[in-house]
Amino acid sequence: MTREKMGNILVWILIIGFGVWGFPGILDRFANAHAHTAYGSYIPWGLWISAYIWLIGLSAGALMISVMTYVFNVEAVKKVGKMAFLVAIATLVGAMIAVGLDLGHPLRAFKLIFDPNLHSMMGWMAVLYTAYFVTLCVELYFAIKKEQVFGVKQKSVKKILTVLGIWSIPLAFAFHGGVGGVFANVVAKPFWHGPMLPIVFLAGAFLSGGALFATVAYIWRPSQNKEEFLKMMIFLGKTTLALLILDEILELSEVYVGTFYSAYGEGNLWQQILFGQYWYTFWIVHILIGVLIPLLLLTLKSKSPRAIALAGLLIAGSFLAVRLNIVIPGMLDPGFAGIAQAWVHSKLTFSYLPSIVEWQVLFFIVAIVMAVFMLGKTILPIYQTAGDE
Amino acid sequence: MSKEELPEVGDNLTLETDESRRDFLDKFSKGIFGGLIAGGIVNALAPVHAKANMDGSNLNFSTPFKPFELPPELTGEDAILRMMRDLQKALKKPIEQRHWNMVIDLRKCVGCDACSVSCVAENKLPPGVIYRPVIQQEIGTYPNVGHVTLPRPCMQCEEPPCVPVCPAEATWKRPDGIVIVDYDQCIGCRYCLTACPYDARTFDFGEEYIDGAADAPKVFLGKEKAGKYETDPSYEYSKEWKREGEKSPIGNARKCHFCIPRIEKGMLPECVVTCIGRATYFGDGSDPESLVAELIALPNAFRLKEEIGTHPSVYYIK
Repeated sequence: MTREKMGNILVWILIIGFGVWGFPGILDRFANAHAHTAYGSYIPWGLWISAYIWLIGLSAGALMISVMTYVFNVEAVKKVGKMAFLVAIATLVGAMIAVGLDLGHPLRAFKLIFDPNLHSMMGWMAVLYTAYFVTLCVELYFAIKKEQVFGVKQKSVKKILTVLGIWSIPLAFAFHGGVGGVFANVVAKPFWHGPMLPIVFLAGAFLSGGALFATVAYIWRPSQNKEEFLKMMIFLGKTTLALLILDEILELSEVYVGTFYSAYGEGNLWQQILFGQYWYTFWIVHILIGVLIPLLLLTLKSKSPRAIALAGLLIAGSFLAVRLNIVIPGMLDPGFAGIAQAWVHSKLTFSYLPSIVEWQVLFFIVAIVMAVFMLGKTILPIYQTAGDE
Repeated sequence: MSKEELPEVGDNLTLETDESRRDFLDKFSKGIFGGLIAGGIVNALAPVHAKANMDGSNLNFSTPFKPFELPPELTGEDAILRMMRDLQKALKKPIEQRHWNMVIDLRKCVGCDACSVSCVAENKLPPGVIYRPVIQQEIGTYPNVGHVTLPRPCMQCEEPPCVPVCPAEATWKRPDGIVIVDYDQCIGCRYCLTACPYDARTFDFGEEYIDGAADAPKVFLGKEKAGKYETDPSYEYSKEWKREGEKSPIGNARKCHFCIPRIEKGMLPECVVTCIGRATYFGDGSDPESLVAELIALPNAFRLKEEIGTHPSVYYIK
């Protein structure tokens, strides 16, 4: 059995498994709205918003791979541009479902596309995601077309792709830096507020998205010879390693500034992240699984495609913990000491652990993301390379 | 000892029966002691001629009536009356020329939660939605401890951080300074909840107080009748809102709006009129003759988290 077939079977099993387990959660979301979620009014955003920025980050990272293909003409990834578009679209769809289900009135959100409040960072998100989705679809269309036309016309299609690719660079910076801005602009939350967060978001997006793509490209690589494949994987491995180091430098800086004089400002929140009730999300899920093991794999086994793919999967999967550790701690500090005791209710507390329904919905969304990718891969000719070169 | 020689109690109390000196002193001391405890300060404030026995049979009305004089701070009218006059006056002005302010005197607040509860009743707030919690805190270390109570309505900021963040333009500041939410436009993203430095916005998760109660139609009131109170519509923003299914205000951000429907009818906000200590004042701060304008000018008036630059319309006095 080829690696691709094994991958197909495994992913479809996961899609069915996640789908079956997650379906009751989706039903509950539609039947009881937000009644069985653990977030409330003092911690208004939870797992779904964290999942949204995780998935949109994966999308932005995948988009950057396509930019390397069509703008910078990087030889190693020249045949996987279309697949990168598909990964970007699938994860974007997942992100939009996650944020949509988090809304109190999801159907009203469509009006934001036509009439957003441009004083609001979230209003900008509606504009940028729409632009991003349209750009991705057009890019994918032309990327497929490019492979199906020959001669002079192919050159003009290639030019269009380059222009679209150049346009998508500021777009990616805007929409994912903008997600960071959604949080960073909130003066009321000192943990989020500041100029660092949009940059941290971008670095994390390129890292997690690039890492995910290393895994995807390993399993479903287009037909290419062994040497080309190895070159591609080593390139993706090196890129991931460089981004991982960059991301960790940024994180180290954040931890250092946040904890050095721990009595002030965000020190208490960092204490909670590092040594609080949910310490394992930072140390086990993020640092061990998402940083140390991938770091060892990417350095000691830097020429092994399998090790690179595994490292990519670990980074991309565990990055949800990074997102959770940005979103939740920011809201843990009460506006006033004693406010949670002033009017007592389960939705008026300053602690948060996702409920079963929230996890079920998240797994269902992941199943949808994988299904969109698998169906897209089957329907669209992303493997066809006849018109290439 | 003859009764003529007995000492008088007060100006008007005379002993009419013959009693032994021992009996008399016994009753006299008990009366004084009991009177001190039972009558307390109220007794002390009562007119002197009422200090005889309770049925009044011993009163001697021949002595001149001496009316009790109230201390100066109790001689004025109830602040509510003045605030109502201020309100009526303000309503005669165009909306953009008035600015509603609230002043909360922390020295008078006893932390009874009457304002919170009456707000819940007025606006039919469901579980988990609260506009005006009263934060209570013990401060200091034994034996030097104190108790601080802090009612926290929406601050109706001059520069409200919750307004620009709304992606749907569903919340804005009215010309009279009240920050409102358009329930029909709000998409329920809860961005405004994170943006408020005062945690003054809560999300309507659709809960009801009768959730989980037994139906029991023939026992006592039964769930349906008991729940009628909270399933009846509320009239926030002078519009009828019936909470059912996923209809607004369910799934929306909700907040204190200084009881707009009451103000528009010339009534003070519910929390103001139900404050048992008259600790909450309300009025048009742009009118220099209003009570709130006087209070805002006090040197011990302050605003919460002023350093953020939100310029709240709610002041506190301590």
